[in-house]
Amino acid sequence: MNLSLVDPFVLAQDCPEVITGRLRSGHSTSIRFSHRGDLLASGRSDGIVVVFDIETNGVARKLRGHTRQIQSLSWSTNDRFLLSAGQDWKCVLWDLKDGSRVRTVRFEAAIFIAELHPQNHMKFAAALFEDQPVLVDMSNDVPVKHLLPTIPRRSPMERENVSEKQAAQDAKQTTTVTLFTPSGDHIIAGTNKGWLNIIDATTHEIKYSFRVGNNILVLIRLTQSGRDMVLNSSDRIVRTIPLPDFSDPKLDFDALQLEVEHKFQDLVQRLSWNHVTFSSTGEFVAASTWMNHHIYIWERGQGSLVKILEGTREELSVVEWHPFRPFVAAVGVDTGRVWLWSILQPQRWSALAPDFIEVEENVEYIEREDEFDIQPLEEIHKRRLDQEDEEVDVLTIEPVKTTTQFATGDFRMPVLLNIEASDSEDEVVAVGAGQFRRRSPGAGREWMNDEDARAANGTPPVNGTKRRR
Amino acid sequence: MADRMELPKRSREEDELEEDSVGPPRKRSASRSPTGDASPAYRLAERPRRYSNEDSPHEPTYYRDRDRSRSKSRSRDLSASRSRSKSTSERRSISPHPTPPPPKPTELHYHPTMILRGHKKAVSAVKFSPDGKWIASCSADCTVKIWDAQTGRLEHTLEGHLAGISTIAWSPDSKVLASGSDDKSIRLWDVATGLAHPTPFIGHHNYVYSIAFSPKGNMLVSGSYDEAVFLWDVRAARVMRSLPAHSDPVGGVDFVRDGTLSVSCSHDGLIRIWDTATGQCLRTLVHEDNASVTSVIFSPNGKYVLAWTLDSCIRLWNYIEGKGKCVKTYQGHNNKTHSLAGAFGTYGSDPPHEYAFVVSGSENGDLVFWDVSSKNILQRIEGGHSDVVLGVDTHPTEKLVVSGGLDKAVRVWRDHTMPPKPATEISTAEATTNGYDPHVLPPNPFGDS
Repeated sequence: MNLSLVDPFVLAQDCPEVITGRLRSGHSTSIRFSHRGDLLASGRSDGIVVVFDIETNGVARKLRGHTRQIQSLSWSTNDRFLLSAGQDWKCVLWDLKDGSRVRTVRFEAAIFIAELHPQNHMKFAAALFEDQPVLVDMSNDVPVKHLLPTIPRRSPMERENVSEKQAAQDAKQTTTVTLFTPSGDHIIAGTNKGWLNIIDATTHEIKYSFRVGNNILVLIRLTQSGRDMVLNSSDRIVRTIPLPDFSDPKLDFDALQLEVEHKFQDLVQRLSWNHVTFSSTGEFVAASTWMNHHIYIWERGQGSLVKILEGTREELSVVEWHPFRPFVAAVGVDTGRVWLWSILQPQRWSALAPDFIEVEENVEYIEREDEFDIQPLEEIHKRRLDQEDEEVDVLTIEPVKTTTQFATGDFRMPVLLNIEASDSEDEVVAVGAGQFRRRSPGAGREWMNDEDARAANGTPPVNGTKRRR
Repeated sequence: MADRMELPKRSREEDELEEDSVGPPRKRSASRSPTGDASPAYRLAERPRRYSNEDSPHEPTYYRDRDRSRSKSRSRDLSASRSRSKSTSERRSISPHPTPPPPKPTELHYHPTMILRGHKKAVSAVKFSPDGKWIASCSADCTVKIWDAQTGRLEHTLEGHLAGISTIAWSPDSKVLASGSDDKSIRLWDVATGLAHPTPFIGHHNYVYSIAFSPKGNMLVSGSYDEAVFLWDVRAARVMRSLPAHSDPVGGVDFVRDGTLSVSCSHDGLIRIWDTATGQCLRTLVHEDNASVTSVIFSPNGKYVLAWTLDSCIRLWNYIEGKGKCVKTYQGHNNKTHSLAGAFGTYGSDPPHEYAFVVSGSENGDLVFWDVSSKNILQRIEGGHSDVVLGVDTHPTEKLVVSGGLDKAVRVWRDHTMPPKPATEISTAEATTNGYDPHVLPPNPFGDS
């Protein structure tokens, strides 16, 4: 509701500019914004998943269940469930209402990425290290894993003349990244040989394959509409590809031709990219750089570099763009902090008093005809009251134009009152209004002993919801 | 130049002409009398006033405006309302328009239902919980009491503050109550157990005057006698942002319904609207008389703010339009020294014909209800309390009002305005009694003949 009062020039800005804050809870390795943009999930190197409240920059929930570093995070569409994949070879589906583990799925290999189905939070697709990708259905207590193919689909002619060498090569190919299209009907998968496969999510067949390059596809991201795709490949090129509407039943996969729209690269320094993301509208592409401290932002209309975000003294790994604001979050590799870039809003002086006006140059004041007339107070008062004849409606709530396609659902994150006090890994603690002191080492780590003790007793640990007496 | 000079003159003449043809209001009422000697010119002028009921000179324009603005929406729910209320539409008077608006109630009938006694000193604020189950009241006797809103049973007495409590606020899930006290601290209380959260919010340098929760419950805004407005991170119990707000004690604070804006007001006469996310002042509202503003709330839809000032006025501000504009002034209560607070409520029937009222206490012990649009007093509970009424709140769903004041009592009022009974209800009542008076025995067919 603040939009009508905010400076329109500030609202028109769509690219973040300066560091406006940083979040810290342990050593973060992976982050992801919720669909409504009020929460940021952060996976830590110690296996704890922390959910930050972006409005307060505080920790809203801590989820304990992994024992190794968190590899990837994925939110359900209603923002109630969160899927985390860890380097302990398991995926956990969390219910943020009470912080409980809904399902735990174990794998026989390390997980590259696990992405939730957009319509059904009990399904997810995962790419595994040197193993076949899987589509997991967790509806029942025992999760069902459907293996997905990796070998690219060739045209019928190619299929007949397949050589022995090629067959051997195909066998060595593995899928490195998977994700769902927004409808959830198809899975887009990238392989280590630069192939892009589009897999039907119900029949588990490859409908279409496309060779992007010769190198490993590290990451694929879609815009919210699913009509644009950005690819990070190990050949140091970030590609954007417009996609057809996969939910269209008339789409003919045999006639489909994908074309690379832009190739973003740094020809001078030959930078390689750690992580890529689309901006909220898909207008910009942001990428964090390997062995470098910058985030590059390209604009997709012309394909030009528009901004380099800097200010950190460390390399940045995962970079994420807020679902509807010019707001970028990135993880520092060395410190594990989450850095936040946004737009600084200057205070408008005209807002501080009703008779202040912001002017470009000096303006000569022309008084109103009756400005200094002396009139009886009573009459002024009466006239003023008589003018108040307009109709006011204080009840009707106007439907707000949703900034994302995700309407505000019923789920509201519960506010846990003692989360910070129970175990804060922050290096500073508040001791008063605006007063902070450095935390004594080891303080706030009691939960570690706690967990061991509970494990010894055989009782399952309560995930961050335990209330302190 | 000559043209420009003439223009306003001409318009003035036209105005005069119109006034002549309509005639002074005194004559109008005469023409309505059944004597029937009105001239044809009068009848023409009368025509647009057909739906107005004759209580105030404000009403006619008000209704005509409403007709025009609402016409679109009404045509949309025409089909629904027709099928739903056949019986009621039959009873409506026939008129050239398809659906005349049902008469707007001109008065409310709030009657006392409960008196909750227990506070040893003046009650400074009363609040219904968002789920409507509880009433919380805070007092100068350093306690907060939680009462059952239906039965009036005292559920908890929350003790822990070291000085009188000026303000309370419910969290949106109704599980936590926050209280701000003259001991400079804000405390959170678990409503289920009645226990205080171990860490109080400490940071203000003087009395905490007013607090409000954000709609998500993750933030709290507080205004204090130390002239500062603080935004608190509720989870961590720490000051998130300090707003350099005012140059006099802050009287009231509130959050808008989506949490993006907060409002604060002060004894320096300013009302400031803040961007919650950036902490910047987006708008400042000042009335020309610069009277001290003691309390402020957002309207239920968040488009207006309602402010209590020490010149015995309550003003409704449109803060969005232009530089902010006072659109209504409600008068009729006394407010010169105390910091009164009130609330918005609704009356009438279902949403298309639901109207809003403003309710506030008064320093002579009255409770006053105003219609938001017409500024008419809908009800005045005279002598509702025996002393100043400081706090008033309305129930989120039911027609209930709670008030508290210097006479140490918390009083609950219920509206007994009879809703127009649908015909079906009467017929079923007749069927159950079978036409006989239930208290009289039916004639005995086996009696002696």
